[in-house]
Amino acid sequence: MSFARICRKERFGERFVCFELEERSIASRARPGQFVMVRPGLEVFDPLLPRPFAILSVNADRFSLLFEVVGKGTELLSHLEVGDTLEVLGPLGQGFSLDASSGILIAGGRGLVPLVFLARELKKRGIPFSFFLGVRERKDLALLRLIEDLPRVLWSCEEAVSGGFCGTVLDLVGKCLERALWQGAKIYACGPEGMLRELATVFPGKEEDIEVALEARMGCGFGVCLGCAIPRRGGGYWHVCSDGPVFRLSEVVL
Amino acid sequence: MNLSVTLGRMALKNPVVLASGTCGYGREIAPYLDLNTPGAITVKGLSLFPWEGNPPPRLFEVRAGLLNSIGLENKGVERFLQEDLPFLETLDTRIFVNIWGRTVEEYIEVARRLDAAERIDALELNVSCPNVERGGASFLSDPEILRELVGRVREATRKFLIVKLGPAKMQDWEVTVRILEKEGAEALSVTNSFPAMAIDVERMDFVFAMKSAGLSGPAIKPLALKMVYDLVGVTELPIIGMGGVMTAEDALEFLLVGARAVGVGTANLVAPSSAADILEGIKAYLLRKNMENVEDLIGKVR
Repeated sequence: MSFARICRKERFGERFVCFELEERSIASRARPGQFVMVRPGLEVFDPLLPRPFAILSVNADRFSLLFEVVGKGTELLSHLEVGDTLEVLGPLGQGFSLDASSGILIAGGRGLVPLVFLARELKKRGIPFSFFLGVRERKDLALLRLIEDLPRVLWSCEEAVSGGFCGTVLDLVGKCLERALWQGAKIYACGPEGMLRELATVFPGKEEDIEVALEARMGCGFGVCLGCAIPRRGGGYWHVCSDGPVFRLSEVVL
Repeated sequence: MNLSVTLGRMALKNPVVLASGTCGYGREIAPYLDLNTPGAITVKGLSLFPWEGNPPPRLFEVRAGLLNSIGLENKGVERFLQEDLPFLETLDTRIFVNIWGRTVEEYIEVARRLDAAERIDALELNVSCPNVERGGASFLSDPEILRELVGRVREATRKFLIVKLGPAKMQDWEVTVRILEKEGAEALSVTNSFPAMAIDVERMDFVFAMKSAGLSGPAIKPLALKMVYDLVGVTELPIIGMGGVMTAEDALEFLLVGARAVGVGTANLVAPSSAADILEGIKAYLLRKNMENVEDLIGKVR
């Protein structure tokens, strides 16, 4: 574990907090899809466990996290300010594969975080991609700020917004993409489990080429507690922290 | 400063032991903790065959505690010997291996296979797991079965033999302890997690498929400490105290009531460097108290 100073804090909408953290060894090694375990500091034992957060971006000696305030742990973290330090462990887990000829990135809500990191890496490598983001509420559209510099961003909102697509992100994907457009592409997705499950229907016969970044309640984040088990296609379990968090859709039972 | 402690014929270079199930097979935690630092590492519970464990959810956080229902998932003794022991053999620390079985015969077979591995220093018996031959009651809950289990494992191995007690049986420890002493246990690990439960009120159902789970973390420390204190009073067997040890101060409490070593468990999940930090804290305490030997702390508060 190391200590990382918060050098920038930004809020997105009502529930999302972004920290830029100074920590060279994580920033230099992190790959898209990897995550870090974060806790507010020493001797804080309630909540007990660190929280797993996907890495949003890296920039020289710094890396950024963006999380949604959903409970006590994230609430506590959201009150930290610039200058405070966090205890962090990482980078952890297996990230996305980067060997695509083109990509379709599909994010539901806070699922955009690892895909933003991926998008920047694809852009750097000159791999073309489209980025689909779906949010539930109008105010979550603040997240669009994170991807405004990317080409081919399409978004949807389940609340009616003037000029926007009303529906889920997969409704939007279905409307925009014909088979010919996705057949040769690699599909990368992160979002609610229901959305990830539905990908198999939206892209029939494509499960091998769909990579999903999963969210899980974790104990340790590095493969010792075996707490983050998910069913493996064909029997047994994967551990999201060490076997994932990125899996091929064909490998998991959601 | 002398940090070494003895547990009967077992000498440890310091009293900090990584507890079973919280440091994997060793290799997984090695990038985050120098495994030569603790006095011993306890490999997670091994069974005769690979065991897939319980369905998710397996973890549930409660106030200052963690409920787990991992279900003893492990790769089995053979794969451990092939894949992980070679790494452990390079370490300068004691290697303890926790073992469990569904039947007495399974324990014995696991013990035999580990007995053949020179580098393993001790076996730790998990006696809190369900005995399938007795309708799933824990081996600890029936004195006759416990007698048979410990006695027969003792015959199967010359390794230092530790029995890990759980609080499942809040009965007279005297009876249990006399059996363990007589059958050849050489030390006790006290304690395993506490049987506990959580309900999901929205779903109106149990959080865990197995209904109950094991509670660990700071929430159980005062309970575990009392258990260690009580057991020190009824047996001469050396005790490795554990249960919610997060800081050096926690570890010192266990030593002061008479534990001869201290297990660090859930703290490894919270921060994998915990055992090293705890050891540093113990050293700082000894300095501050002007004490030369950590052994001088043991049992000072009785």
